[in-house]
Amino acid sequence: MSDVLGVGLALPPDPVSLNILWPLITEAVDYYEVAPETLWRPRADGFLGGNGFRARFLQLKADSGLPFVAHGVGLSMAHPTPARRQRWLAQLRADQADFDFAWYTDHLGWTHAHGQNLSLPLAAPDTPETRRRLVGALRDIQSFAPLAGMENSASYFLPYPPLREPELIGEVLEEADGWLLLDLHNLYTMSTNMGFDPMDWLAAAPLGRVIEIHLSGGVDSRPGWLPGGRTMRLDSHDAAIPAPVWALLAAVRPRCPRLRGITVEHIEGSFTTRDLPRMRDELARARAAL
Amino acid sequence: MNDAYTALLAAVLRAPDPVAALEAAAARPEVPEALRDVLAGLDRDGVRMSALLVAQLRFNRLLNGSGQAAADFDADPAGFTAQFRQYHQEVAPSADSPVQEARLFAAWWAGVE
Repeated sequence: MSDVLGVGLALPPDPVSLNILWPLITEAVDYYEVAPETLWRPRADGFLGGNGFRARFLQLKADSGLPFVAHGVGLSMAHPTPARRQRWLAQLRADQADFDFAWYTDHLGWTHAHGQNLSLPLAAPDTPETRRRLVGALRDIQSFAPLAGMENSASYFLPYPPLREPELIGEVLEEADGWLLLDLHNLYTMSTNMGFDPMDWLAAAPLGRVIEIHLSGGVDSRPGWLPGGRTMRLDSHDAAIPAPVWALLAAVRPRCPRLRGITVEHIEGSFTTRDLPRMRDELARARAAL
Repeated sequence: MNDAYTALLAAVLRAPDPVAALEAAAARPEVPEALRDVLAGLDRDGVRMSALLVAQLRFNRLLNGSGQAAADFDADPAGFTAQFRQYHQEVAPSADSPVQEARLFAAWWAGVE
């Protein structure tokens, strides 16, 4: 399959983390993933412009010759604010022109509404309006990117039954002819916290539309954080990829015939040079699963 | 229902007690039955955890945008965290970037001082 990119790494917008990861960035991956909004800086005229990371990643693109994919969190797919959406799209078009992203994905749900940027992807109610907005967001992405996709988010509460979610994703992607970024740690996190079998979720998901898989790790919250001492799994990207996520990858990979890349994510500040051998092993293990 | 839900959740997730705010909002007579049913089904611990994560993401955005805030936090973690908690409740999170968050915080702090 000539259109498979291979194994990718999410580039953290942090100079120290980039320096630590540099051996992996330059030797161990086939493509890079960036969150476009971390490459922007607000301008005095109200529009957005590029920051230093944008310039650094463009240099990396020129030096490596490797492809880039984009994965945003701020488009607020399920709750658009027209002026903000237009500002976002204008900068994304500029990014697309410079980076030539193979595809662009954002998160299921909303992060911005009523003038407030909550940053955390939050699920919207299961209504025709939500489906219309998600389809609209994918079409907005299709206006500048060659392929548009949506990631299953890690929600800590849902306004619908958890196993309704893969059906909702399938309906939206079918109508918009979009792609699924399947985040296996998000699925693991939700299934742990909400008490469902992730294989049931996968059985209802549109796996024929999976273009990319995300692998990452996380930790449990501390007992003191919630009244009653309950802990919840956190999609914090700050630990090794756990065994259940590898097991999900092994189970689902054969059922994703149009998969083009597996991306490993680690959040900035969560690793040192001592973690590099483990992270290199994770990339090799992901490559073996492709 | 969508806009009413997002408006309500945006307020709930910044409230000092998110679950109490959720219960109070759901009890308001103007809330439609369908929305009331949706709110009743939300995992309360999940709402609390999401509120913590929203605050944490904003805290990180502020420290990424303001060297002064990062230095103040390093010098007095408990004191700065208390300040941030007050800021988070008093100032709507309108910033999209670390630079904008730093400006918002500086303007708020100038008013507090």
